[in-house]
Amino acid sequence: MLVADFEVARRDFAVSVALRLQAGERLALLGASGAGKTTTLEAIAGFVPLSRGEIWLGDRLLSRAGQRPVPPRDRGVALVGGSAALFPHLTAFQNVCYSPRANPAAARRHAVALGLGRLLDSRPARLSEGERRRVALARAIAAGCRTLCLDEPFAALDRPLAEELLQLVRELVESLPEGAILVTHRLDEAQAFADRIAVIDHGRIAQMGSPLELLRRPATRVVAQAMGYRGWLSIGDQVLAVHPDLSRADGQDALRVGASVVGCRPFGGRFDIEFAATGPWTGRAHLHCDSPLEVGAEIEMVTPEPVFFPSHPGVGDA
Amino acid sequence: MIAAPSRKIRLAGPSTALAILGAGVVWVAVLGPVITLAAHLSWGGLLGALGQPGALVPLEVSVEASALAVGAILLLGTPLAYMLARDRLPWGRVWEAGLLLPLLTPPLVIGLLLVFMVGPATPIGHVLAGVHLTAADTFFALVVAEIYEAVPYYVLGAEAAFAAVDPDLERAASLLGDRPSRTLRRVTLPLAAPGLASSLAVTWARAMGAFGAVLIIAYHPFGLPLQIWTTLQETGLESALPFALLLLLVALPLPVAAYVWSARARRRL
Repeated sequence: MLVADFEVARRDFAVSVALRLQAGERLALLGASGAGKTTTLEAIAGFVPLSRGEIWLGDRLLSRAGQRPVPPRDRGVALVGGSAALFPHLTAFQNVCYSPRANPAAARRHAVALGLGRLLDSRPARLSEGERRRVALARAIAAGCRTLCLDEPFAALDRPLAEELLQLVRELVESLPEGAILVTHRLDEAQAFADRIAVIDHGRIAQMGSPLELLRRPATRVVAQAMGYRGWLSIGDQVLAVHPDLSRADGQDALRVGASVVGCRPFGGRFDIEFAATGPWTGRAHLHCDSPLEVGAEIEMVTPEPVFFPSHPGVGDA
Repeated sequence: MIAAPSRKIRLAGPSTALAILGAGVVWVAVLGPVITLAAHLSWGGLLGALGQPGALVPLEVSVEASALAVGAILLLGTPLAYMLARDRLPWGRVWEAGLLLPLLTPPLVIGLLLVFMVGPATPIGHVLAGVHLTAADTFFALVVAEIYEAVPYYVLGAEAAFAAVDPDLERAASLLGDRPSRTLRRVTLPLAAPGLASSLAVTWARAMGAFGAVLIIAYHPFGLPLQIWTTLQETGLESALPFALLLLLVALPLPVAAYVWSARARRRL
């Protein structure tokens, strides 16, 4: 089990994180750029000193504030980032079995399992972006890591390829003793990957829970935003958070808000409708629809499980 | 797998043709002195000058002194260049400015200042005397002068070569279980090698050709540049040419070989 409860001092704000990762568990750290996601992974990998707290991996103390940390090479933590960081002068196979801990036969098996069988003699410059990520993953696994940290590894890849690799990583993580952490700013990636999602904001974990829990019961407006809520409708001293996929333009369910369509554009196979609330409600929000709607059309937005926040933004985000 | 990018250049019009013509003119102008040297040399004069007894001694002196100077620069300059490239030294810019000083100071002035710094009458001179070394008109002084003239070329070039190695690769290696020494051996040095080789080769050429500082602090023993200078003074332009050719033949092959090798190594990445 990875147990991390620490603080890292940064110039802008301190990153203060407490999380536990069970064996084989997949955790996604979701948040905007500069929220402290990468700093969290760098602390776990041993690249930044802690100003408070400690990090344990199994029964090994990796870092404690004020003490010399276990160096990155001995931590059993693999970090795969946005650039695959392959050694350009070595072939794919030499990269995979680069680690002094790697067993060449096992490294070859990992590489073949990741679909790299016919590319083992190629240099990184001759591989595609997706193939480079596969080599980086095979290299991390072959090095015998106990936990895998992924720092937006597929951000530069197109969607289908990223989804394919994400599925691959899910399968790989099952063989890891201490699970994996994926850092991302994309909700779809976090949902596709994780058993649990932690939304991080300004260096603190705003909420941690199952993807469904965070979607249905976001604790703050920041979490709601991270989970895809797109719009706030005010009534009295309350604000209704509107999720485009949890709201509909018709139906018989619970909460109804009168609205007027102000924009409509294709969104994947469906349509993204921007609407302005009418009647006692004020504000604009989005919902997703199966068919296009005319601008100006009067609709009723229906949301089966309404999520409310106090109208003062600061209160909900405390 | 993706295909390697094509290296063919297509002429895009008059501007490209003009640029190539300009580059050609510059190239011929730069090579002009060497072409002139070849045109003015005669086999008879060459064999006559170099066949005299002791004529090749300055060559031996220069090669030995330059080998020692380049060896010392390599040993001391490589760690310094790496630390500068990775910002491991406090006030890194100050260190860099210090390295630029020998590059910007006229070599004659360097020689003059070296006399006042390491000459026999100075405190450093006394220390050197304690280990039976004198930095005035000795082989040791020649090596010191060559180091001063050549060191910036290596350290600044090597710093650029190390800086071009992505620090993420070194981080990746350490996460994979590498000790810093293994990362240096297997990642940093192989990737920086083409740049290091180019810098070292240029340093060799500068050390072989060191003249200004050498003239002041190490007139004796005669190195090849001084041989050219004294021959020129005593017997005229024509008789200095064979020694000039000799200097070029010894100083230039290494930079050319390093250039060819590093260009090929970079293409392979």
